[in-house]
Amino acid sequence: MILQWISYACISFGLFLWLWGTWPLVGRRSPLYKLHFLSVSDTLGSMAIMIGVLLRIPREWPLLVLALISLALWNTILGYVLAYCSQGEDTDG
Amino acid sequence: MTAFLVIMLLILGIPLYAAWKGEHIWSKMLAFASIATKAAIMILLVSVQRDDWMIGIVGVIILSVGNGALMLLAQILRRLRDVANL
Repeated sequence: MILQWISYACISFGLFLWLWGTWPLVGRRSPLYKLHFLSVSDTLGSMAIMIGVLLRIPREWPLLVLALISLALWNTILGYVLAYCSQGEDTDG
Repeated sequence: MTAFLVIMLLILGIPLYAAWKGEHIWSKMLAFASIATKAAIMILLVSVQRDDWMIGIVGVIILSVGNGALMLLAQILRRLRDVANL
């Protein structure tokens, strides 16, 4: 029962992080500002959701751990590439 | 679990709106990157709920491929801009 509660708490925390990160996307800020919020919230939020899901079904844990690792790896690299590419332009950021 | 999926769908709508409204190419790229990750996580959640692991493998593959095409597109956009500025 406790495990159920913990997994629900993790998933809702992940959803909250998603919402918190996606909110500035609609705002007027520069892409870099949005990127920071977005990549942080997406990576951590998704990892929280994955841990919540992992608690629910320990049977398929290798698959979910692979997803967790690749998520953490690729999301940070994607954030870096997007930041690197969007920089160095003379037009409005 | 279904409630979580509905909330996720609503949250997925925000970057969709941002991609549609985005006036700048880079904010559109950001929006699509975020949509991709969120959709993959949703696929995984659906597969856990249905306990059908074919769908789960699809979600894991999407995550492990990890927006590779988007990174290439970002590089191409940067090269295009550098060429345009020459």
